[in-house]
Amino acid sequence: MSHWIIAPVALPALMAAILVLVLRGNLGFQRAISLAGTLGLAVIAAMLILAASGSGPEVYFLGDWPAPFGIVLVLDRLSALMVLLTAVLALVVLVYAIGADWDKMGRHFHAIYQFQLMGICGAFLTGDAFNLFVFFEVLLIASYGLMLHGGGRDRMRAGFQYVAFNLIGSTLFLFALATIYSVTGTLNMADLAVKLQTLPPGDVALIRVAAVLLLLVFAIKGALVPLHFWLPGAYAHAPGVVAALFAVMTKIGAYAALRFGTLVFPPGLEATATLYRDVLLPAALVTLVVGAVGVLGAVTLPRLAAFAAIASMGMVFVGISAFTPAATSAALYYIVHSTLAGAALFLVSDLAMRRRAHGRLDAVLPPMAQGGLLAALFLVAAIASAGMPPLSGFIGKLLILSAWRDAAWLVWSFILAATFVMLVGLARAGSQLFWKAHDGQARATSHPPEPWAFTAVITLIGLMAGIAVLAGPITAWLDVTAAGLYDPSTYIEANRLYQEP
Amino acid sequence: MTLALIAAVPFLGAVLASLAIRFGRGASAMAAGFATALALGLVVWQAPVVLQGQMVVTPIDWMPALGLNANFMLDGLGLLFAGLILGIGLLIVLYAHFYLAAEYPAGQFFTYLMLFQGAMLGIVLSDNILLLLIFWELTSLSSFLLIGFWKHLPEGRQGARMALAVTSGGGLAMIAGMLILGQIAGSYDLSVILTQKEAIQASDWYLPALILILLGAFTKSAQFPFHFWLPHAMAAPTPVSAYLHSATMVKAGLFVIARLWPVLAGTPEWFWIVATTGMVTMVMAAKIALFKDDLKALLAFSTVSHLGLITMLLGFGTKAAATVAVFHIINHATFKAALFLLAGIIDHAAHTRDLRRLGGLRTLMPITFAITTLASLSMAGIPPLNGFLSKEMMLEEAAQAVWLTPWAMGLLATLGALFSVAYSFRFLAHGFLGPVRHDYPHTPHDPSVGLWFAPGLLAGLVVAIGLFPMLTASWLVNAAASAVTGTPVQKTIHLWHGLEAPALWMSLAAVGAGLALLGLYPRLRAIWDAAPRPEAKTIFDAAIGGLARVARGVTGWLHDGALTRAAAIATLTILAAGTATFVTGTHLAGTRTMLPVEAVAAIPWAVLMLAAFATILMHRNRLVALILTGIVGLILSAGFAYLSAPDLAITQLAVEVVTVLLMLIALNFLPKETPVESTSWRRLRDLGIAGLAGAGATALAFALMTREAAFDPISAFHLAQSKPGAGGTNAVNTIIVDFRGYDTFGEIIVLGIAALIIFALTEAILRSPTALAALARGRRRDVAGDRHPMMLAVATRFLLPLALMAGIYLYLRGHNLPGGGFVAGLVVAIALLMQYIASGFAWSQARQRVDHHTVIGAGVLVAWAAGVGALVFGLPFLTSGYDYVSLWPLETFELTTASIFDLGVFLCVLGAVMLSLASLSRLARAGGEPVNPTAFDIDPSRAEGGR
Amino acid sequence: MEVLIALAIGLLTATGIYLLLRQRTFAVILGLSFISYAVNVFIFAAGRVQTKAIPIIGTGDVFTDPLPQALVLTAIVISFGMTAVIVIMALGAYLESGHDRVDMVEHEDDR
Repeated sequence: MSHWIIAPVALPALMAAILVLVLRGNLGFQRAISLAGTLGLAVIAAMLILAASGSGPEVYFLGDWPAPFGIVLVLDRLSALMVLLTAVLALVVLVYAIGADWDKMGRHFHAIYQFQLMGICGAFLTGDAFNLFVFFEVLLIASYGLMLHGGGRDRMRAGFQYVAFNLIGSTLFLFALATIYSVTGTLNMADLAVKLQTLPPGDVALIRVAAVLLLLVFAIKGALVPLHFWLPGAYAHAPGVVAALFAVMTKIGAYAALRFGTLVFPPGLEATATLYRDVLLPAALVTLVVGAVGVLGAVTLPRLAAFAAIASMGMVFVGISAFTPAATSAALYYIVHSTLAGAALFLVSDLAMRRRAHGRLDAVLPPMAQGGLLAALFLVAAIASAGMPPLSGFIGKLLILSAWRDAAWLVWSFILAATFVMLVGLARAGSQLFWKAHDGQARATSHPPEPWAFTAVITLIGLMAGIAVLAGPITAWLDVTAAGLYDPSTYIEANRLYQEP
Repeated sequence: MTLALIAAVPFLGAVLASLAIRFGRGASAMAAGFATALALGLVVWQAPVVLQGQMVVTPIDWMPALGLNANFMLDGLGLLFAGLILGIGLLIVLYAHFYLAAEYPAGQFFTYLMLFQGAMLGIVLSDNILLLLIFWELTSLSSFLLIGFWKHLPEGRQGARMALAVTSGGGLAMIAGMLILGQIAGSYDLSVILTQKEAIQASDWYLPALILILLGAFTKSAQFPFHFWLPHAMAAPTPVSAYLHSATMVKAGLFVIARLWPVLAGTPEWFWIVATTGMVTMVMAAKIALFKDDLKALLAFSTVSHLGLITMLLGFGTKAAATVAVFHIINHATFKAALFLLAGIIDHAAHTRDLRRLGGLRTLMPITFAITTLASLSMAGIPPLNGFLSKEMMLEEAAQAVWLTPWAMGLLATLGALFSVAYSFRFLAHGFLGPVRHDYPHTPHDPSVGLWFAPGLLAGLVVAIGLFPMLTASWLVNAAASAVTGTPVQKTIHLWHGLEAPALWMSLAAVGAGLALLGLYPRLRAIWDAAPRPEAKTIFDAAIGGLARVARGVTGWLHDGALTRAAAIATLTILAAGTATFVTGTHLAGTRTMLPVEAVAAIPWAVLMLAAFATILMHRNRLVALILTGIVGLILSAGFAYLSAPDLAITQLAVEVVTVLLMLIALNFLPKETPVESTSWRRLRDLGIAGLAGAGATALAFALMTREAAFDPISAFHLAQSKPGAGGTNAVNTIIVDFRGYDTFGEIIVLGIAALIIFALTEAILRSPTALAALARGRRRDVAGDRHPMMLAVATRFLLPLALMAGIYLYLRGHNLPGGGFVAGLVVAIALLMQYIASGFAWSQARQRVDHHTVIGAGVLVAWAAGVGALVFGLPFLTSGYDYVSLWPLETFELTTASIFDLGVFLCVLGAVMLSLASLSRLARAGGEPVNPTAFDIDPSRAEGGR
Repeated sequence: MEVLIALAIGLLTATGIYLLLRQRTFAVILGLSFISYAVNVFIFAAGRVQTKAIPIIGTGDVFTDPLPQALVLTAIVISFGMTAVIVIMALGAYLESGHDRVDMVEHEDDR
């Protein structure tokens, strides 16, 4: 058994502990440790995904206790993919944060950043339902810290709302888990999958309740309408760099919904049957529209980015809600794309916000420093967010469209209409920000060039171009991943569930 | 590979052009020109093969699974368009170099231009319709950039946005259409699709696919009713208008119609939709063009009209008509591009494009006049120019087409031709003929050869094709027509069709009537100006503006930042989902025998219920509410003890104490009262929601408590293994630190993070002047009677060591009896808290030896080490071992590695609680609480007579 | 007994939700602690309740289910951390904005 599986949790924890213990005042040291840790995480994630691609799911028995009695980590293609995505994004965003001096704005940025990574990776890797809750809390409380980084009136007030709403979600999570344990007497996800197959009819109603409550928890994380209200305020008021990292946080909701919808409550399970699909599809379509309309109706640039994030979650969940291998593979591709695209849009918007008096789109302000490059980056980020060619978004969109051949009219019209609305909104915003500025022939504002910040954004764009060019092999890999999700036997066997002698 | 290379070259050109910016405008033009020429050369090199009727293909697998492949092909049609794109492109680059004023960033311009060129070339070379879609949307985006090139012009920005909205909107429809088409044909490769005519036309999805694809094509090619964007795109620099909006991009729609002609054409639906749209567009646009004064606007509508003409021909669905369409594509490209460039020259020379301000340029600009004459006569369809040839053939086809009646189509076609004669002559007459004027904004003169070379060359082609069609054009026309129709075409083109040909009389009528119309122009113009017309732009702007306003309104209303409403919605959603799923599943009531209700339990329960009710009623008095909350917490702790959960009882108790203390300190700064804000209706609503939620929770809890688990709980294993496996008799504790130690690891990290956040937030608050001011004000409000009562101070001094002992004891025994690192940490923290309360934050902090950060960090590190330690022995993270140790005066106990982990927990909890309080204390001092010199003191404010 | 517990859970939840829907931060915080009380009891009760069955080996021969107790312990600790954070946030928001209202007026802000 490879001990590397625990590394994505243990390494950031160690880094964070060091950052808290020594040289708290030395920014250079903090940056070095944080970068080193994140880089190491990326390397480990790459190793893990290679391992996962080679063999089937691998299980790590924490405390050396047999499943289902102890807690297990499970490394399969899906968890490895999500960890790698997290690590790569985290590295780029960290470079931006340092390049734009965001980490100077408050205390303990790097320590909390490392804890954040630990929480996210832990959530992706765990094979235990209650442990998933614990790591949700770790990543949430870390996200509160990052979201409030730098303080300020609106940020504190928005932060309060963000925390309060998520605490409702956490409480709901506990209600669901308690119900599940009370009925099945177990918390290990593989064990749940096995036991639910032979669930007595008398318990069906309770399990259905637990299943849907869990789904709603994930829907809160994934910002599905009508549980998305926390997102615009939180993301718009969070530091831009943090919002960029949060691009992966919403995906955790998508991941969890996919994991439980294929492993614990698969479409074949008679107790829940098509419950997840029936709830997710309408919600996802509405989310898509709400997000797109929000992009067109947003008053400020950060809110525009926030609504683009909501729309992207709509697309992701449209893909997931089909619960077919093809659609899941498409959704996974779109998850990767929209994480990068969302982060890019938030970073570009942050670059603009740093060069503008304020974020209102309808205000005519003097041209921004480095405006030309910035305009180009905004254009590309907008194209990516709207899912237009030539970047990966268009391919992801084609994949989802063609995966939804049945119910084509409904799904296609929603997706294409939403794309159109987003396009109009982004075009308006872009011409307001970068063209209208030239009406008044005012001199451009001056601002330090921040080369590393720009490098980070360009890297994200490069990654999107990369996954577009390599779409063939990537989708082939994802197809295998998706197929694996719909045949959980290997996942379950890997847990070597302990049988009473 | 060649074709892929051809498609790639312009994009490389774009990169080159952008890199060349630093070397001046010339360099960028050179780069663009070089790339275009190179691509053209490669195309010409491929031409002979294609002209022999073969097809050049370059298949590259991209996403075989999806059917999206980078397959390129070059056939007659592709050759024709590639030739147009690159040939005219070359002329445009040359012209633009001389045309663009120095103050505009030429490098940027050529970069965009080459981006467009690459996208356009990609469309015509694609053998895969999904690939085609990608290039299709790319042309929309690049034309957006080119139209908006003059950032300072509002018309430019609006025109760009309008073009993008219309064309990419159509593009989205086309995506759906192409996907359907591909699914019917079983492949997205054109070479396959083109063989599937029967299957496609037989499918129920034929009509939807047709309509969706045509939506894309019509929007792109500015067909009625989507024509309105094109005139507004004229805000672009003239080279762009000539290139994108007359010669190439607007023909992309025609290209797709032609490309799919073999499989889509030939049905009644096709004839009615395509031919009618084309015909209406042709006539309507030609009429409007007659009344436009802006040269570019006139040409724009003329372009729309000619695009309509070609669409109509393709719509007829006959081989002959398709051949004419192809021929006219060539002719129109030549004379119309020339005319646009000439309009640009006139604009440059006279600083106006308004026909009402021009006239008499004949003598001032002889060269320009000569070229214009040829081009505009060709546009009018005057022999022996190429426009005449294709117009004749068009009329011929129209005369044969049966639309409603045998003659209607011919008549309308003649009408279109008539108008085009009229506006062509108007362009010439009102621009160049007539007396020389003295009020030009700028005295015009012929431009340098650099500017007139391009239109001159095109005019040369106009003549050459007109005179020697067979030599110059027919081979290309035949090749392209063969590709369009899918069958070999050998069309011979004559200047003279004989007297019996209806076309001759139709065009004679058109010319005559057209000239007559021009004679009557002033009167017609008066009528036209008087007549009310729907202005497409205002309608479009109203539509988009309305959409945006609605979007803003809806978004603002939905996301008004009200947490209370969001929480209410969430609660109701959860309730609805839970209820719905419950009633749709089967449920058997529980059979478990319930516990008897004992008085010892019933009385505290009653108190708890009362306290909760009281909280609802009296929550506005915050102190009372806090106390009531504390009471509830204490009763819960007692309840846990009663229901055999001593660990829970202790923990709940300790946490309750600390929480209440925290909130008490916080309440120092916050208002003491919650004002009455919500209406009684609102309160009622909230009570309703709350009641439902409570009912739901009750029902679920009751259902669960009264049922047995469907399977044996895994905790049986924990009980069995607690002693032998984990070396502890307290199963709860062994679960916490061993079986599920990983949960605890996450849990203490949550605490650690919480403390860090509180510290960071405090720093942020202390940096904010507004907050500091508020703090200072806050402290004035209420002054406690005796801040640090002496008795309490003495007591705490005395208690501290005991508390510390108790903490250590709890920690050590935790593994076997209720207790453990967490509670121990809290107890010690509370002991220290007492010092704070008794003697003030500052006094205690002055005596604090270790920094709280260090304690937290150490705690996490110890727990981490306890986990990683196992790896040394090749065991998984957090695997524990144990041994028995006896340490006087305590009884013998096992020392487990789990207890090292528990030590980490202890430190983390202690550090976290202390850091949080220290942070709050800093706020208090910032608020002006005096620092005690000694541990004991009396309230100084009292000494000053108690304000 | 189960009935009483179920009712207590219900009332705690209701109180929590009601306070959660108030417009001032302090009430919301109290509401959050109430629903966390509720869910803690809920988890505990979901493991079925027993008296005189402390899950410590050697104290008797019948043991109540220890696992829910462990879960509740974790939950209590986590919600303690969360409460601490949200309290200081409420404080910060109050000091920065001069009032302690929960709802924001989004379309008026200009970030």
